[in-house]
Amino acid sequence: MEVVGPDPPCQRCQALKKDVEKAAAKLKDSGFNIEITKLNMVSKEVIGKYGILVSPALVVNGVVKSMGRLPSADEIKRIIEKA
Amino acid sequence: MDEGTLRRIRTIILLFFIFAVFGLLIDSRIKAYSLAPTMKPADFHGLPIWEIPVAYLLDYFSHGWICLLFAFVVAGLVYEFVPKEVITKYMSGNKVTGYGLALGMAPFLTVCSCTMVPLFAGVLYSGAGIGPAITFLLMAPAANILTILLTGEMISWELAGVRIVVSLIVALAAGIIISETPWGKAIEKEHQKTSSGIQASVEMVKPSLDERLWGSLKFAGYLSKQILPFFLLGLVAVSYVMAYMPEDIVGAYLTGIPGVLIASVIGGPLYTPTLVEIVLGKGMWDLGMSKGALLAWLMGQPYDIANALAVSRIVRWKVVLTYMLIAWAGSVIFGITYGMLSGSL
Repeated sequence: MEVVGPDPPCQRCQALKKDVEKAAAKLKDSGFNIEITKLNMVSKEVIGKYGILVSPALVVNGVVKSMGRLPSADEIKRIIEKA
Repeated sequence: MDEGTLRRIRTIILLFFIFAVFGLLIDSRIKAYSLAPTMKPADFHGLPIWEIPVAYLLDYFSHGWICLLFAFVVAGLVYEFVPKEVITKYMSGNKVTGYGLALGMAPFLTVCSCTMVPLFAGVLYSGAGIGPAITFLLMAPAANILTILLTGEMISWELAGVRIVVSLIVALAAGIIISETPWGKAIEKEHQKTSSGIQASVEMVKPSLDERLWGSLKFAGYLSKQILPFFLLGLVAVSYVMAYMPEDIVGAYLTGIPGVLIASVIGGPLYTPTLVEIVLGKGMWDLGMSKGALLAWLMGQPYDIANALAVSRIVRWKVVLTYMLIAWAGSVIFGITYGMLSGSL
């Protein structure tokens, strides 16, 4: 999954990445194999691929699941489980 | 207790808080007390230096806190609930949709120009064109929920309305003019729509109401952490300006056409995208600045240097200088026009 935001990362993008890491660590025990990458939204490739204009955004398996908001750790867990 | 009940309780508590904030603001309007600082320059006479900002801050916060709380809560709610995927969906459509979205969505999306730069790049890279991107960039910081609420409550609702209309016209004009210049066209060509379009799909997860409400309040908290320190410093600065700036200087230099010109020039460098321009503008207005000059003063956003530097890395200086010039001309023209129409030039 990818956390998308500007570089250098804004405060909210850092917070999202931390929450995603926490959720991923919790889900690791249930057998989920999660790789987290931070993408720079101010790049033509990322915008072209995902069309994300409002940061921070969360992409799971190539699908944009949330943008412009900070989902709670609980919500992130559900997003991952459903993907 | 099962999860559903817990969520319902959380929703009720959060809604209660939000309605309480709305109720308090309505109550303040019914009682019709001022939500702006009420101290006049004469009130500062005889106060020791350290007491000047203390007295001013106490005066402001004793009745203005509800306005600030309301503004931040509303900004948080709007930001959370505005459907952001709409921009992705329609932004790379035709030019008219691009401009429409920029004007319609920008005020709801952001509250300070620091978050505008990535958005500006995003609009440009998505192939929407340089015009809508510039319109987005100029519209959002000048006429967003937070600045309009604060301008309305601290200065006047008439000026807040004029500020929205004028920002809209200037942002649109700057977008259209730049998209017609050779250097604007060159940038646009560089970032033409890719034929493949957006490859990823967007399936936004719908969070529950309690999560969204909590998200709004958290965003309101984040905004206030970003903005309030500067806002407070601005208030301290205003208290000294009010205490020591002779009224005849403001009356002499910040009125008439020269006043509009001076205000449009000093409003710019003073501008920090943190509502300080509103507090300072209010202070100068109390000291005798004309309404025309005040409007020009409040429209200083486009020459925010930090913002311009970041934007210049994406579209080069020629474009930045062009939009600065257009925005400056707009602030002068509309400052003078508004001053004449309102009888306060």
